[in-house]
Amino acid sequence: MPPLLLAAAAEAASCAPMRLNDLGHLLQVMGTFLGLSLFSLGGGNTLLAEYHHLSVVQYCWLRPAQFADIYALAEAAPGPSSMIVGLLGMGAGWPEGPGWALLSAYGAEIAILLPSTLLMVVACLSWNRLRESPWRVAFERGLGPITLGILFAVGVKILQTADTNAPGVVVSLLVCVLMLRTRISPLWFMAVAGGLGAFGLINR
Amino acid sequence: MTEPPAPTAAPPGLGQLFMGMLMVALSAFGGGLSAWSQRIIVEQRRWMSNEEFLTGLTVARLFPGPNQINMAVYVGTFFRGLPGALAALAGMLLVPFTLLMAIGLLYFQFHSLPALDRVLAGVVAAAAGMALSMGFKILDEYWKDPMALLLAAVTFVLMTFFHVRLVPLVLVAGPLAMAWYWPRRSQPGPPAGEPR
Repeated sequence: MPPLLLAAAAEAASCAPMRLNDLGHLLQVMGTFLGLSLFSLGGGNTLLAEYHHLSVVQYCWLRPAQFADIYALAEAAPGPSSMIVGLLGMGAGWPEGPGWALLSAYGAEIAILLPSTLLMVVACLSWNRLRESPWRVAFERGLGPITLGILFAVGVKILQTADTNAPGVVVSLLVCVLMLRTRISPLWFMAVAGGLGAFGLINR
Repeated sequence: MTEPPAPTAAPPGLGQLFMGMLMVALSAFGGGLSAWSQRIIVEQRRWMSNEEFLTGLTVARLFPGPNQINMAVYVGTFFRGLPGALAALAGMLLVPFTLLMAIGLLYFQFHSLPALDRVLAGVVAAAAGMALSMGFKILDEYWKDPMALLLAAVTFVLMTFFHVRLVPLVLVAGPLAMAWYWPRRSQPGPPAGEPR
């Protein structure tokens, strides 16, 4: 087991978590999410790779497996899956206890929603002028393909982060095809795959 | 069955907006948020016409932010400006976010239990498949536009193999793509034809 321990030690050394033990750090986290808000194209999923970078690589709030878990939980839970930001904030604050984790969760979620909400309000109020503007047309047509590329990159990133064994990857690919070809609720896929995990067929 | 199209009801107040979106969120447990908001806002409460609702979907998809959340902001703003937007948003998020917070607290408390970790390993595999399907879902729209496919491919390669971060990528590639697709008088469609 020494190689494993060494690897774990190296990982711990390379990734020193930014502790959210005071309000200054919490505000820094909120600032990060405030700055990302307006980049959530294509319904917000474009931000997932960035969330991964921030929480796993840069700030070390979460281990890669935890990020994968949290993504799955946010997808499985009812409501908009973009609420994953609340769970990231919770992970960031967890070492300081559940109370601080909740505060950090609400802070992160408010920060990611505030700028896009304000822009959306302005957009609604001025939509009649925006509708025919060449800026709108160019924005819609130009950012679409970029969103497409980002979504593929996000899919690959999540697949890498999931890091399951070969049967797990087969299940991932199968779910991808079923998502595209059928209208079965994804909750079924998660339930069945969770069962396969419980029996040890899928592991990581 | 065939009710005459009743005139739209009186514009809702802040409390009604909150309750209306709360109902949408509760009805949509298990999925279909967009369909439920249409059913409740247009058909049941008659707050807005179907056309106004569809305009909202267009705006919500166009602008940054999660589509469903932007839709709530649109409905709120439509009637009561910024306060309405906040009321609608609170109604939409209250129950799901509270539930998610409960799930999160349980997760961080218990995720190291081997039994839970085993189940999650399976769920994660399925969720990864869902993530992988997101790009394919909108691929059709761009299939006949080689420039769009090139832009998407370059974006994908830069992010996946060169680890370019999202913000600089969008700030550089966005304006370039917008310049390419800038509407020209003589040529109203994108260069390779309207997507579908």
